[in-house]
Amino acid sequence: MSEKINVVICSGTACYVMGASEILLLEEHLGDEARARVEIEGTSCLGFCKNSLNGKAPFVTINGQLLSSATLPNVIQKIQELLDAEHK
Amino acid sequence: MSDSSTAATFIEVGHQQLFKYSEGAGGDTFLSRKNDSDGRVISVLSDGLGSGIKAGVLSTLTATMALKFVALDIPIQRAAQIIMDTLPVCKERGISYATFTLVDIEPNSCVRIMEYDNPPYLLVRENTVVEPIKSCTRISRKNKRTGPAHEALLYYSDYRSRPGDRLIFFSDGVTQAGMGTKAFPMGWGAASVQDLILGKIAQEPDISARELALAVVQGAQQHDAYRAKDDISCAVIYFRNPRELLIMTGPPNNPEHDGEMARNFKAFPGRKIVCGGTTANILSRLLGKPVRLMLKNLDPCVPPMSTMEGADLVTEGIITLGKVAEILERGAGVGTLAGSGKFEEQAGENGATRIVDMIRDSDRIVFMVGTKINEAHQDPNMPLELEIRRNVIKKIQMLLARQYLKEVLIRYL
Repeated sequence: MSEKINVVICSGTACYVMGASEILLLEEHLGDEARARVEIEGTSCLGFCKNSLNGKAPFVTINGQLLSSATLPNVIQKIQELLDAEHK
Repeated sequence: MSDSSTAATFIEVGHQQLFKYSEGAGGDTFLSRKNDSDGRVISVLSDGLGSGIKAGVLSTLTATMALKFVALDIPIQRAAQIIMDTLPVCKERGISYATFTLVDIEPNSCVRIMEYDNPPYLLVRENTVVEPIKSCTRISRKNKRTGPAHEALLYYSDYRSRPGDRLIFFSDGVTQAGMGTKAFPMGWGAASVQDLILGKIAQEPDISARELALAVVQGAQQHDAYRAKDDISCAVIYFRNPRELLIMTGPPNNPEHDGEMARNFKAFPGRKIVCGGTTANILSRLLGKPVRLMLKNLDPCVPPMSTMEGADLVTEGIITLGKVAEILERGAGVGTLAGSGKFEEQAGENGATRIVDMIRDSDRIVFMVGTKINEAHQDPNMPLELEIRRNVIKKIQMLLARQYLKEVLIRYL
């Protein structure tokens, strides 16, 4: 049984204002297959906004990998890429 | 620090009003104020003759005058005389255009009450009704020509308050609710109102002033078959043990003070709210309790709440606090019963409405504000301007002290 893909969405102030409010609706926008394979978590603060070297908010981590300037489409795309990589 | 804060009792002033059905403005006015310096509380309830805007203007006039005169230490009987002389009198009915019940609570616990034409007040002490002796003064108006044929009767009483006392006063929309119906031809009646009040207190000995006032108004509304036949107003003044609330928001300017912040949080004797992700993270790290974000029932405008063991509520910071200030400024639905009397946002419950509910159920609110500024919030690319935390808290403090008569302390870290 393959492991779940861990998605952590930061909903701190900067992230929320820059688009996390939309990304938090991720589960509704995933296909059935993706939804079953993904474990979605939120957090009140990841702390990445404090260092500009991390890029811009909103921040999402997917299996620990940081995604800056995240959007709902590119988070879904990243998840799909991981799922596709498994199928190969 | 006022006496009422260092003493065990806190004076909680709660009131609820419901306008006459389909009237846009209320004919009853309730005003209250508390002196920061000495804790003196002055409250006035006035009922304008009839209903609607004309009654509202006159009751506002009466209540405002009464409040100001008493605050300026004009002797209470003299204040009443001036008001009586100023108020116009209805030619046909021969009575003043507005009633009043005026309550003056000195910091030394002496309570003085002046009543004119409102239903008599109730003093409930240890689950029984106590009746202080009232002296009656006849006031004749200066202008005999326009004055009524009969004189006005003013009732004055005073007593020493004790912890646990409840003072309840209301307009005749309460006692006369249901008047003219088969079940209650003479209205709900003072005795039945008293029964309801004593029943509620017996059921819930710590019932807050706000909830009791609400229960009375709801009872009256029920007797009017949910269409208020007159403006219904009830005020309750409860001499209680203060309910304390801590709102901790913002990381300390100096990270070396994180430990002190966590210790203060843990040691606080009342309920606790954490506002802010970074703040929550610091507490989580130092207290060893995880923070979990709640992804259900997301609100479109207010960031989601979290849970943390040891905190009653965890929310996001500045956006939520801004919303709290907004809600407090708008005020409760005065003249309407919004749901159960709680503030209602369009979409239901969110971090801001939860904070406001907890504030309203508390008497003393302590803000511990970290002053570290998050540069990411000042990024010019941000779509909206984020206020500085200190300013929002100051605004909330002013609203709570002036409009809600809460005691608010702010500590900066």
